[in-house]
Amino acid sequence: MKELRIGVYVCHCGTNIAAMVDVEKLAKELSEVKNVIVARDYKYMCSDPGQDLIIKDIQEHKLNRIVVAACSPRMHEVTFRKALEKAGLNPYYLEMANIREQCSWVHTNRNEATIKAKDLILAAIKRVKWHEPLDKRSVPINEATLIIGGGISGISAALELANAGKKVYLVEKSNKLGGIMNQIDLTFPFLNSARQILDRKLSEVVNHPNIEIFLNTEIGEIFGYIGNFETQINGNKIVFGNIIVATGLKPFDASRIPEYGYGKLPDVITSLEFENMLKSGDIKTKSGKQPQSIAIIHCVGSRNEKYNVYCSRVCCLTALKYINQINSVLPETSIFDIYADMRTFGKYCEEFYSSTSRKNVTFLVFDQKNELPKIREASSSDKCNLIINFREKLSGEIIEVPADMVILMVGMEAHEAAKEVAHKVGVSMCGNNFYIERHPKLDPVATTTDGVYVVGTCQAPKDIPDSISQAKAAAARILATIEAKTVDVEVTTAFINEDLCCGCQTCIKVCPYSAISFDAVKKVSIVNEVLCKGCGTCAAACPTGAAKAKHFTDVQILSQIEGLFSYA
Amino acid sequence: MENKVNEKIFKPKIVGFLCNWCSYTGADLAGTSRMKYDESIRVVRVMCSGRVDPTFVLKAFKEGADGVLICGCHPRDCHYHEGNYKCLRRYHLLKKYIIQMGIEPDRLRLEWISASEGAEFAKLVNEFTQKIAELGPSKVKQNIETFS
Ligand code: FES
Repeated sequence: MKELRIGVYVCHCGTNIAAMVDVEKLAKELSEVKNVIVARDYKYMCSDPGQDLIIKDIQEHKLNRIVVAACSPRMHEVTFRKALEKAGLNPYYLEMANIREQCSWVHTNRNEATIKAKDLILAAIKRVKWHEPLDKRSVPINEATLIIGGGISGISAALELANAGKKVYLVEKSNKLGGIMNQIDLTFPFLNSARQILDRKLSEVVNHPNIEIFLNTEIGEIFGYIGNFETQINGNKIVFGNIIVATGLKPFDASRIPEYGYGKLPDVITSLEFENMLKSGDIKTKSGKQPQSIAIIHCVGSRNEKYNVYCSRVCCLTALKYINQINSVLPETSIFDIYADMRTFGKYCEEFYSSTSRKNVTFLVFDQKNELPKIREASSSDKCNLIINFREKLSGEIIEVPADMVILMVGMEAHEAAKEVAHKVGVSMCGNNFYIERHPKLDPVATTTDGVYVVGTCQAPKDIPDSISQAKAAAARILATIEAKTVDVEVTTAFINEDLCCGCQTCIKVCPYSAISFDAVKKVSIVNEVLCKGCGTCAAACPTGAAKAKHFTDVQILSQIEGLFSYA
Repeated sequence: MENKVNEKIFKPKIVGFLCNWCSYTGADLAGTSRMKYDESIRVVRVMCSGRVDPTFVLKAFKEGADGVLICGCHPRDCHYHEGNYKCLRRYHLLKKYIIQMGIEPDRLRLEWISASEGAEFAKLVNEFTQKIAELGPSKVKQNIETFS
C-alpha cells in the first residue's frame, strides 16, 4: 500500500457541533495520530470555502484519504465526495464521522460528547485506511416518468414533463383526476374558482398525447433503480426512469374530538362539507333553514398534542375565505370565528386577513392547549341549534356562542395509501406518515432513494400554489436528469473473489434480488452488478470471505470497530 | 435525564450496528429533534442489518464493548426486503454462541427502529445503557488478555 496520508476535518457547524464538542482540541489531538498529515477544524466544512480547504490540502499535502467529522453522512457525504473528486482523488477515499446528529445534538455533557466524537473520528481514520477506489458506473435513463396520484400536484408535474415531450404514466387510485381540489369551491386569497383552475389543467392532461392515464388503479410492486424502474399495470409491463409520488392528503376525522360532537350533532359540519354547500350555493342547516349564525372553529386536529402537533397551513385562510363568502351570500347571518392563533403567512394573505377582519365577523380566541370549546345542542328556548361554550382567551371569561351551524376547520393528514406506497417506492415517512424529503432546505423534493420525488401534501400540509411549485420543481429535476442522458448509480455492490469462493452457493440463497448466479464451469458464484443493490447480506453469510460488500468490507468495518476502542 | 447512568462508577461503552435506511435515519432524527440520550453508544453504519456479520459483534466484544446493539428496519420494512429476517436468525445463534464465550446474553440486543422512531431510539439507548450498567463492565477483553 502506498504511504497513507490522511486529512482530518472537524466541522463546528456554526455552534451546532462546537457548543457540545471541543472541536479545536480534537483537531489538535488528531493531528498527532499516525498517518494524519493535517487535521483542521473549521466553521462550516460543507460551505464552499470549507470544501476548498479540503481540495487545497489534498493537492498541497498529497493527501490520499479524507475524514470529515461533521453532520450525518446521509446529509453531506455526496457533497464531500464531490470535493474529493474535484481535487483529483477517488470519491470513495472519504469517510465521515457523524458528530452532529449522533453526538453533539443528543448529548448534554461536553466532556463525554468530546470523548465520543474522538472515538468516532478515530474509527473513521482506521476505516478510511482500507477504503478502495471505486469506479463510477452510469446507466442510460429511461425518459418516461411514473406519477402516483392524480391530484393537483400529480397533474401539474405530469403536464410539465409531457409538455417537454416526455412520456408520463399517471396513476390514480380513485375513478377521477383532480383529488381534493374537486371538493373545493373558491381558492384564497383571490377567491378564484378552484373548478376553473382544475378544469383547465384537466382538459390539457386528458388530451395530452404524452400522458397515459390509469384510473381506478393501484400501483403494484416496483423494481429497478433510477433510470430503469419497472412495474406492471393491468398486466402490462411499463418502464420508466423516475417516479413522482403525489398521494395527497386525508382530511382529519373530526369525530375523534369528543368536545365537538361531530357525527352526533347534525349541524356540526367539516370544512369540506361546507365547501360542498358553497359549491351548490345552498347554505342550509340540516332542517333546511337558513342559518342565522355560523361559527367557525379553527385547528381541528391540528396543533394539538392529542391529535396532530403540526399546523395544517391552509385552515386559517380557508376560514377567512368562508367569512367573505358567507358575508356576500348571507349578509344578515352573524359569523363567529373561533381561532387559537391566526396564521396568515404567504403572498397577499395577511392583506386578505386584514380586509376580512373589517367584515361583519366576531373573532374569538380559544385556548388550544388547555381546553377546547364544547359544542352542545341548544335548548328549545335558545332560538338557535347549537351552543359553543368555552373560555375566551383574551377576555378570560367563559362565554356561550349561539350558532345554527358550526364549521370545523379540519386539518390534513397523510393519505391512508401513503404507507403502502412508501414500501413500494422505497421512501421513508416521518412519525406522522408524511414522506421525508432528502433535505428540508437543500433538497426538498427529492428523497433518499434516487429517482423518487415527493410532491404536494403527501410530503407535508401545504396549499395549492406550494403544491404546484413543488410539482414543477420535481418535474424540472427529472428533466435535468433526462437531459444528462445517463445517471451514476450506486457502485457499492457486492463482489465475489473467485479464488476464495468454495462454490457453496449460500450467497445465492440469501440474495433478495437474485443478483448472484452460479458459474457451473468455474464452480464459483458471480454477481450481476446491475441487479445488486449492495445490502451486503451475502458478505455476512459467506463462510470463506469471498463475497465482499464494496465500501462495507469486513476489514473496513472491523477496523472501524477497532478504532472505536483505540483511545480509552 | 432520568435514565442516566451513574457516571462515577462505570461508563459503559456500547457499539451499535444500525442499518442505513431505517435505524440510522431514526438515530439521525433523534438528533434533529434534539432528543437526549446517554453518550455510551458509538454507531457503526451498515447498509442493512443483514450485513451484520457475527464476527462484527464478536470483534466489538473483543475490543472491549460492554454491550452490542443491532438495529434494523421493522419486519416487512427492510429496504432490501428481508435482510432483517436474516439478521434475526443470526442474532438467535449469536446469543447462544456468546454464552459459550462467557458473555452474558443480555449484553447483545436486537431491536427494530424505523426512520421515524427517533424517540424510541433515544429511549432504547438509555434503557440498554442502564441494563449494561447493572451488568457491570464486560470481562471479555480481560479474559482474552489473560489467556493470550
Ligand atoms: S435495510 Fe434496514 S434492516 Fe435491511
